[in-house]
Amino acid sequence: MHPTYRFLSFLIIILMVNVGFGQELYQTTSAELEFYSEAPIEDIKAASNKGISVINLETGAIAFQVKINTFQFEKALMQEHFNENYMESEKFPKASFKGKMQNVDISSNREQVIIIKGTLTLHGVTKEVEIPANFQLNNNQIKLNTTFVVACKDHNIKIPKLLWQNIAETIQVQLNANYQKT
Amino acid sequence: MNKLLLIAFFLFSTVCISQDVDSLMNELAQDSRPDRVIATFKSTKLVLLQTNETQKKNDLAFWVGHRFGDIGGEFGGSNTLYGLDVATDLYLGFDYGITDELTIGIGRSKFNESYNLLAKYKLLQQEEAGIPVSVTLFGQSNWITREEFQNNEFPNQSDRISHFAQIIIARKFSSSFSFMINPGFLARSQVMDPEDSENMFVLGMGGRLKLTKRFSLIADYTWVNGLGKPSNLDTKYYNPLGIGIEIETGGHVFSLNFQNAPYIIENNFIPNTQKSWEDGGVRFGFAISRNFYIGKKRP
Repeated sequence: MHPTYRFLSFLIIILMVNVGFGQELYQTTSAELEFYSEAPIEDIKAASNKGISVINLETGAIAFQVKINTFQFEKALMQEHFNENYMESEKFPKASFKGKMQNVDISSNREQVIIIKGTLTLHGVTKEVEIPANFQLNNNQIKLNTTFVVACKDHNIKIPKLLWQNIAETIQVQLNANYQKT
Repeated sequence: MNKLLLIAFFLFSTVCISQDVDSLMNELAQDSRPDRVIATFKSTKLVLLQTNETQKKNDLAFWVGHRFGDIGGEFGGSNTLYGLDVATDLYLGFDYGITDELTIGIGRSKFNESYNLLAKYKLLQQEEAGIPVSVTLFGQSNWITREEFQNNEFPNQSDRISHFAQIIIARKFSSSFSFMINPGFLARSQVMDPEDSENMFVLGMGGRLKLTKRFSLIADYTWVNGLGKPSNLDTKYYNPLGIGIEIETGGHVFSLNFQNAPYIIENNFIPNTQKSWEDGGVRFGFAISRNFYIGKKRP
């Protein structure tokens, strides 16, 4: 083989390797999460923009995690109680999700509705979930947004009887994430 | 050469494959900033002493404190329903958080009909891997407004005023156990007994043991006599010791406690505790604080 060809084939192989395996990972470290609790006495809302997530488009694998203490509340005392009394964030610092995206059409750059199946770990309790989400692959970016509901008792988050009018039993969670190709 | 290429191919491909979802997640989750330890104590006060906690920004706390009479001894027993007929001190006060670090407050005590101003500043906050303790500075001035018991008891208006400063060093050892050491200094303008000291160093300490998420055992003790105050005075003084339980329900904190100190604020109870745990001088007391958020809602 001519040296130039050797060099070229070497280059091509490296390129192929990168194309073949490196391209399909997408990441974000600033996914936005918001949750709402609607109860007779007060509506509680909190948000974090520090969600971390990775998608492998080739396998459909998706992983997500957020530190509980990054959620910001309107009232600082509420935030302290959220961490201290309900989520016990010293013991369980993160909420995480691991799963697979189903029926993704990677040839389309339009918004599509997909199903994400996996396990949600919250307050140390892992539960199987199935979440519908809006997915859009465009320009080496993925936009993912979804709204789903988490029941406090599914994750052993106890609400004192005295406060049932202040805190809802099911919490609505909204996720907004923009992934960049790695 | 072809072999070399093949090896190179495998090397590169393994590098790239191992960079999968999990490892990339771990890499992204690397967090350089250590987490702050929050909620060392549930409240800004323990039984008698201040804790390192301050008001949150824009939170206004309304305080009600009460000390009943002696449970036993000469002044207690069934004649006063174990002290419940008597109020040795009553405190009403407001504490407001200007920032998460700085709190100011105002209050009024029944004892000596006194008014107090206080300020607290959070200097350091404990971190999970980093700063080992939280440190808060506390200052309080008290103004006695009652009429003189005898002529020339307070020759000048300034003789009615005392100042107290304390450094509160606290550590949350676990989610259920916190401990604090509070060295302090009290400055009074005048004293009744010429042998007594006007200015004194004191050393407070206190702890919390959380039994459930909202229910704790609390206790604090202040070393006064024999430290900053002479222990050989004609009148016998005792070191204040308080033991109680604390219940938190959202915006309220209730503390139900027993103590030998008849008065509520430091400027009053540190130099004036003449009751002892041993001869029935213990009394029941309680404190209720209610927090009101009076800031604008964050968008």
